[in-house]
Amino acid sequence: MGTMTEATINGLFMGSLYGLIAVGLSLVFGVMKVVNFAHGSLLTICMYAVYYLVMKANWNSYLTPILVVPLLFIFGYVVQSKIINPVLKREFELGGGHAVILLTVGMMLVMENLCLLFFGAYYKVAQVPISSLTLNIGNIVISVPRMIAGIVSVILIFLLYAFLNKTDMGKAIRATGQDREAVRLMGINDFKIYNISFGICFIMLTLAAALMIPMYYVHPSAGKIFELRSFVIVVLGGLGSLNGAFLGGIIIGLIESVTAQFLSATTAEFLIFLVFILVLLLKPNGLLGKK
Amino acid sequence: MSSKKVISLVLIVMLMGMLALTGCSGNKGEAPNADTAVGEVKVGVLLPLSGPVAPIGVTSQRGYELAVEEINAAGGIKALGGAKIKLITADSRGDAKIGMSEAERLIQSDKVTVMTGAYQSAVTYPSTQVAEKYKIPYIVPSAVKDEITQRGFKYTFRTCPPMGWYTKAQVDFAVEMGKKTGKPAKRVALVYENTDWGQSAATAWKVDVPKAGMEIVLDAPYPATSSDLTPVILKIKQANPDFILFTSYTSDAILLTNGIAQMKINSYGMAGGGGGHADPEYMKNTGKNSEYHYDLCEWSTDVGKPGVKETNDKFKAKYGVDMNGESANCYASMYVLADALERAGANDPEKIREALSKTNLSTTNAMIMPNTSVQFDETGQNINASLIMIQVRDGQRVTVWPESAKNPDFEAVWPVPKFEDRK
Repeated sequence: MGTMTEATINGLFMGSLYGLIAVGLSLVFGVMKVVNFAHGSLLTICMYAVYYLVMKANWNSYLTPILVVPLLFIFGYVVQSKIINPVLKREFELGGGHAVILLTVGMMLVMENLCLLFFGAYYKVAQVPISSLTLNIGNIVISVPRMIAGIVSVILIFLLYAFLNKTDMGKAIRATGQDREAVRLMGINDFKIYNISFGICFIMLTLAAALMIPMYYVHPSAGKIFELRSFVIVVLGGLGSLNGAFLGGIIIGLIESVTAQFLSATTAEFLIFLVFILVLLLKPNGLLGKK
Repeated sequence: MSSKKVISLVLIVMLMGMLALTGCSGNKGEAPNADTAVGEVKVGVLLPLSGPVAPIGVTSQRGYELAVEEINAAGGIKALGGAKIKLITADSRGDAKIGMSEAERLIQSDKVTVMTGAYQSAVTYPSTQVAEKYKIPYIVPSAVKDEITQRGFKYTFRTCPPMGWYTKAQVDFAVEMGKKTGKPAKRVALVYENTDWGQSAATAWKVDVPKAGMEIVLDAPYPATSSDLTPVILKIKQANPDFILFTSYTSDAILLTNGIAQMKINSYGMAGGGGGHADPEYMKNTGKNSEYHYDLCEWSTDVGKPGVKETNDKFKAKYGVDMNGESANCYASMYVLADALERAGANDPEKIREALSKTNLSTTNAMIMPNTSVQFDETGQNINASLIMIQVRDGQRVTVWPESAKNPDFEAVWPVPKFEDRK
């Protein structure tokens, strides 16, 4: 019974972390209608940034966002405006085409290989004091970094939701996602909104990276594993829907953690994709997706 | 018209090739490479010296070279009037087909009287077949595929343990530790990555573990690329095993080891079987959490047997790196060959085969390996071949088992200290 509770708690925590990683993907798709295949390698870059700040400058992992978030927001803003936007513009003018998707695949390959080149194919684990901290309630052991990651992820997703719904900027971002042409007529620079959205995607990934570093290894392909999860989560919850990404994350986290207790971890992996296919067949827009 | 010409030309060439092949097989029955009055014994060495496995090919070659240098410097093969051993190396490029044709070339044009190689099982398997056809003895020092010695071949001799012995050695180790300390492991957990490698280990464990009177309380395959291995760790905790067996790659081994330490899951011992657990990256990234972990491997520089340290020092002085399992295997195999040559008294493949099959060697530097003697059974397998168990102590891998090969400065710690009691 204790193990079941532990598995459920772990599933919830990991699920909300998955959700946090997936919201960026969902946001970029919702606003720009771009499927970003570089999402995983963006996460890898954020993880390396946090890792080196923790290991070389002795920062506390949870404080690193103070420096890394602005830096990577700017990085994301520039990448969008200098690399993605020109291709997007051409696509809008010529109509159709899938050049942007190929561009993101290209970016993924470039970034992964740059990581290999600069950081090597080594596994890097930041062994910080909090990594091995646990909370014991009765016979239930809860890993503290996981708990922090889970709770903070929920708060961050809520904050992003509030930002998108309550602030003018948020409303502009949502409006751009709904109708780019109409937004232009209202005097909003749609490409600037794209830049900001991509920057926000980076912010969410950096925060996720700061939460993950105390408990996870960094490797040039570390983000890839989470990227695959993110795609499943986003499609499951509904493309472009933040609530959907959160719900999808929780569902995947629970399936992964709880079914592995009854069956095996291999079966859990299979179940995740089975659920994914079923949702696609029965509810093609995802659980919370709009028609 | 011209394309037809090309096709007919190709056909002609193919036919000629086939004729040549049948011509070759017509040769069998004789021992064409026999030569009794020689100044040197030609040994054909087949190794992957280019391609992705080239580093291991090079390291193996160094093992052969060092041994041959020593044997020749000590007066060569005395029964052959001080004949020197001469290595003739061929590059298999890690490819079975090239391995076969290179073996053919070594035997046919270089006239070697004995062969050795080829590191990879996939190359060793077909190239031993070539040697069998020409009746040339073939010493296999490091290829582990079980079937290599299961084809009724008379000319294949394997000095290292086959794959099937690995899982058994892990179980034997646990049984022996239990007897020695009075704390026998009864509940065993199997934790393995779910592809070919892990599954074949699990299949073997499921035979070996119950046979040793232990119960399998957990059978946990997992995908090596999982983003979260906590579910697996929780299952281990729930099963409460005394002994945990792993087959893992590097990233999963790191996550599992750190997670088990964090959850403070105590057992008598945890043992890996190479792969991730033998990767230096693993130790670097687990730090204190991998302390007291066991790992089964073929050889280590601290094997407590005479000649190991001296040989490794010589090797390091010559090549700048420590010996590893492959180079030690190849090194030792040359001493097995030298012994057979002395007893054969002739540079004749048939006599060498005869001598090899009667090997009962427990001296010379062939003994830098963990086994205490070399004897081949009728399949050509060295029945005394042995593996070692290392334990991580103060961040170093030290040999603690078997008794005959252990590092004299260390005793195996079994059961390992509880996580709560460690500093």
